[in-house]
Amino acid sequence: MGLLAATKTRPVFWGLGPWLEALWYVLALLSVAVFAYGVVRLVRKYGRGRGQSWPARRRRDLPREVAGAARELLSQARIKRRARAAGWAHQGIFFGFVVLFIGTVVLAFETDFTAPVFGWRYFHGDFYLAYKEALNVAGTVLVAGLLAMMIRRASSRSVRLDYARPDRAPQEPQFDRRIYRRGDWAFLTLLLLIALTGFVLEGVRIAMEQPGYGGTQFAGWLIAQPLVGVGEATLAGLRHGLWWFHGLLAISVVAAIPYTKAAHMLTSTASLARSDPDAGKHLQPVPADRAAEPPGYGSLLDFSPRHLLQLDACTRCGKCHEACPANATGLPLSPRDLVLELREQANHAAAGVSGVLGGLLGARDEAELSAPVIGSQKLRSDTVWSCMQCNACVEICPVGIEQAPIINQLRRRLVDDGELDAGLQSTLETIHKSGNSFGQSRRRRGRWTEGLDFEVTDARKKPVEILWFVGDYAAFDPRAQEASRSLARILRAAGVDFGIMYEGERNAGNDVRRVGEEGLFESLAEQNIAAIEGCEFDRILTSDPHSLNTLRHEYPELGGEWTVLHHTALLLELLDEGRLRVAEPLARRATYHDPCHLGRFQGEYESPRRILELLGCTVVEMPRNRDNSFCCGAGGGRIWFAEEGGAERPSESRIREAVGLPDVDLFVVSCPKDVVMYEAAIRSSGNEERIQLREMTELVESAVLASGVEEGAVC
Amino acid sequence: MKLVVCVKQVATIDEELELRDDGLDADFELELNEWDAFSLETALQLREGAAEGGEVVVVTVGDEDAEEALVECLARGADRAVRIAAPELAGGEVLGIAAALAAAVEREEPDLVLCGVQSSDAASAATGVALAGRLGLPRVAVVKRVERDPASGSLTVWRELEAGASEVLGVRTPALLTIQTGSCQPRYANLRAIKQAREKPLAVCGLDELGLAPSAVPRGSRLRGLRAPETGTAARMLEGDAAELAAAIREIIEERVAR
Amino acid sequence: MSSILVVAETRRGELREITKEVVGAALGLKEESRLPVAVALIASAPDRFLGAIPAGVDEVLRVESPAEHFEAHVHERALEQLIAKESPRLVLAGHTIDSFGFAPAVAARAGTGFASDVASIRWDDGPLVTRGAYGDKLVAELDFPEQSCVVLTLRPGAFAAAAAAGSVPVREVDLELAGAAATEHLRFEDAVDTGVDIGNASLLLSVGRGMDAEDELPRFEALAERLGGVLSVSRPLVDAGWVGSDRQVGQSGKTVRPRVYLALGISGAVQHLAGIREAETVVAVNLDPEAPIFGVADFGAVADLFDVADALEGTLG
Repeated sequence: MGLLAATKTRPVFWGLGPWLEALWYVLALLSVAVFAYGVVRLVRKYGRGRGQSWPARRRRDLPREVAGAARELLSQARIKRRARAAGWAHQGIFFGFVVLFIGTVVLAFETDFTAPVFGWRYFHGDFYLAYKEALNVAGTVLVAGLLAMMIRRASSRSVRLDYARPDRAPQEPQFDRRIYRRGDWAFLTLLLLIALTGFVLEGVRIAMEQPGYGGTQFAGWLIAQPLVGVGEATLAGLRHGLWWFHGLLAISVVAAIPYTKAAHMLTSTASLARSDPDAGKHLQPVPADRAAEPPGYGSLLDFSPRHLLQLDACTRCGKCHEACPANATGLPLSPRDLVLELREQANHAAAGVSGVLGGLLGARDEAELSAPVIGSQKLRSDTVWSCMQCNACVEICPVGIEQAPIINQLRRRLVDDGELDAGLQSTLETIHKSGNSFGQSRRRRGRWTEGLDFEVTDARKKPVEILWFVGDYAAFDPRAQEASRSLARILRAAGVDFGIMYEGERNAGNDVRRVGEEGLFESLAEQNIAAIEGCEFDRILTSDPHSLNTLRHEYPELGGEWTVLHHTALLLELLDEGRLRVAEPLARRATYHDPCHLGRFQGEYESPRRILELLGCTVVEMPRNRDNSFCCGAGGGRIWFAEEGGAERPSESRIREAVGLPDVDLFVVSCPKDVVMYEAAIRSSGNEERIQLREMTELVESAVLASGVEEGAVC
Repeated sequence: MKLVVCVKQVATIDEELELRDDGLDADFELELNEWDAFSLETALQLREGAAEGGEVVVVTVGDEDAEEALVECLARGADRAVRIAAPELAGGEVLGIAAALAAAVEREEPDLVLCGVQSSDAASAATGVALAGRLGLPRVAVVKRVERDPASGSLTVWRELEAGASEVLGVRTPALLTIQTGSCQPRYANLRAIKQAREKPLAVCGLDELGLAPSAVPRGSRLRGLRAPETGTAARMLEGDAAELAAAIREIIEERVAR
Repeated sequence: MSSILVVAETRRGELREITKEVVGAALGLKEESRLPVAVALIASAPDRFLGAIPAGVDEVLRVESPAEHFEAHVHERALEQLIAKESPRLVLAGHTIDSFGFAPAVAARAGTGFASDVASIRWDDGPLVTRGAYGDKLVAELDFPEQSCVVLTLRPGAFAAAAAAGSVPVREVDLELAGAAATEHLRFEDAVDTGVDIGNASLLLSVGRGMDAEDELPRFEALAERLGGVLSVSRPLVDAGWVGSDRQVGQSGKTVRPRVYLALGISGAVQHLAGIREAETVVAVNLDPEAPIFGVADFGAVADLFDVADALEGTLG
């Protein structure tokens, strides 16, 4: 390599002179200081939150957290979900930015550390060539990513990029978040300018020096071509100007990171690292030492540091906005806008009484931080009540924000303050009084079994293999009762030893908890746990995904740990084991609706589909399926509201989606609430002739019992 | 401003109500009387609206089960509760109950006593006004709205008449009002508040402690027995699914309205 | 000089219909009890009501009230004195909003026997009465041992009204009523006239507590109109603030007399049934097969009201 290789380098501070070089260092250090201060300020802001980030029983697992975040950073798999092109563009920007940043650090490391301290210089020769190569590729990828994003912003009509708030009327000043759009463009433009000036600078240098190996710095070399032959002085002036321009832009961006959208590099990564895989499925209990205080989130000070961090982690990607069933049906809620509204409040409060100065002095307006986050010009209570707690937002969020659990915390305070829908209030009173949401006498809970020609075992009196936790809808709603009886007949036909708890059972509390009535949830759970512990059984069965979720994810914390399974899992088991045999394949084209609490909450997507295939059905998927399944509108206690609001019922939107499928006339559900919601929606949307609703159990029964397995023939 | 609210733990009226073998009572679940939720809410709002502040005391006659009703009232915001334990009044006879309440209310010297118009199980619509009679208090029955003049403490009340009409009356305190449902929106008693309400003061006293001798307890009537109503189902029951029912109903309408 | 004393009810210059029912009940007891029937007419300028007093009454006790309108405390004071002076065996009043304000207080102060909302009276050496218990799910039978006087308020609609008015002897009774009034009448407020007239509709589609979704109301209103009728409701829906009281049927609402009364999701509380006793045909749809409404309905169906409403809409094409 020798001499030639030794010359393969470039001066860092070309022709700058000692004073300007000193000035540069001052500016650079200043930018780092501003950056550091911003980071400290963020961390301190999160520290103001008094809420508990994790339940006491969970130990932190730092290696897992870091590994999880690193994996996502490298793969960007979550960003690419339901947005492949934008995801790849983001990955380009990410890698470009990171490599260029590392490149700068590597250079600074030699200039400011190894060279002055040890006299060791490495920025030449092969290393320099590889470095240039890498940075050229990185820069190109960065520019390509940025351009792709700009084209997307300029041309796409995607709802994700529409920042209009559904929780504000168009004439209200906060309706249009134009400032965000400007910020997005500014951010993209700034990054693009830095990247481009870097390339031009490279080109000018190559044009001046004409080192003859431009082929390895293809971008710079290309830019240099038209400049070859331009006067030396012109080029030198250009080079000086560009150097400062590029440099100042770059250090400004560094300084601005914690204060702008760029903060997501830090906050989103941290949020991801601290994300909770059970978010929404397992809501946090009120910490024992906080029992005397009002529960939930009333002001920003009540938030957990983790949730405050999440507010800053939002990148406005709009995936939750698009996935939210409330937003899609005209209710005044977008999870994105809820997060942004809270973030704006947090930033406003954290900025302190005297703006920047207050911020610099670390002063914060205590009164503002402790003010209610809900108000007519703030977050509105009907926004909080619009949520169906279906977890679609949490599930799709690429940076681990827990919109639904945050909403749940906000609801807890609203319930405590008595600010709730009249229908919801009377339902909660009813549940407290009678243990069920139907306002029926406790003693009627087992009444649905009277339509059977055999007696269902009382599991409180006799040990059983399977303890069936029926749940409110399956026990009390007349249509859902049909499915319950069907399941009872199948279990009997398959020779399953099962029983129910009759009036010993209470509402499972899953939706009561999601409404924010934590006290009532605890009371119901305690009563159920006591009742269940009084029975002898191997496994718990339920046809209600809501009950399944809370029994599986939330009861263990309160002392109830059992194996709990959904009836679709048991039915599949019975079919696989041959205890149930399909006599007459159904040969129908069916579509299957994933219940939120079975799909997103339990990750159970395949068992129901396999059952349908075993029954001889062809499963035709709706556009929104599996993890993107669309809530029926009943979740989060919304089924109990007196006032529905919204432009279209979520259930009717879903039926519209189903009847749009070619030759599908069967809508299969596996949740008692879905039975009720969709039977009504099929009727109210006038689709009785076009599509038929069946609970999974009913289909299984019609295919299995056709074999002549009459009721009671087996066992 | 001191307010006393008289409440009752009532039987939940549902299809599961079963007559006991002795024919003198029935088995049922219990709840706070629907009307009393409105009279309590009225009291709480009057207390909250009073510049000088005030106290809301809830009083009931009943056994230990009745304390659940008191706790619910405490959870909604009442300050303290009194339970009159009087097994001799178990039948719930109006004048006896009113006498017991009168003995307890008298000690409190309230500015205003509020009762529900009636209880949902017995539906006598009498206990409140019998109490007013015993205490010699001015009273207005079936009130759907109350306004209080902060200076004089006197009240303007809307007495509900039939079909949406009302009579507006001026009343001086101390007085007693019986409050109608729908007059306000009773607040929610959440479970946390109910738990905390168990820490609030709840006094239990017998009739002797109230200075009411057993011989002084009036009895307006004697229960000879309870029975199921004879009428039963007089209606001709229509059968079939919803479509068949609708067709039958249409037929009845066509036939009998057009006639 | 024992008697059955009926308390006449007047409002805004008229003798109220309930008085005729109470007189009817008193006259029905006259033979067995061998007691004369007197009517206590406590009002300002009572003479204007004399012409409406039913025939068969033995005498009217004319009491001049110092209050222009009905005033509960004046009634209470007057009846206390009448009980002392006249020693009636029975004091009967309607179980109405006005009586709620004085009858129990009279019983409490005079130490008489008492029962309210009485649905039937038998005479067996004294009154034996029945009234509803546990929301009318059961019937309670009461007697009044050792009571020389019993105050009863009678359920509207439970007793046949006395026949037409006739000439009745009047006796002036002088009572101490000065300063008896404890409330000041300020004004009457009439219901806001919304143009809805459920009182004269020939078909009423009436919904009750079973209709638990406010935003479904317009649909029922439309259904009522398409069937050629008017929407009416039971009290809970008015209490919830969903509907104005102009559509309320029942004791505290309106008494209606349609040819067909279609009750959807109305269980049939006494107060509601009081408002429909003049309906020619009652059709009731309710999920609870033991709902009291089936006791008075001509046709019944145990079904979900929304299902039936859907199907009714279906029949209209």
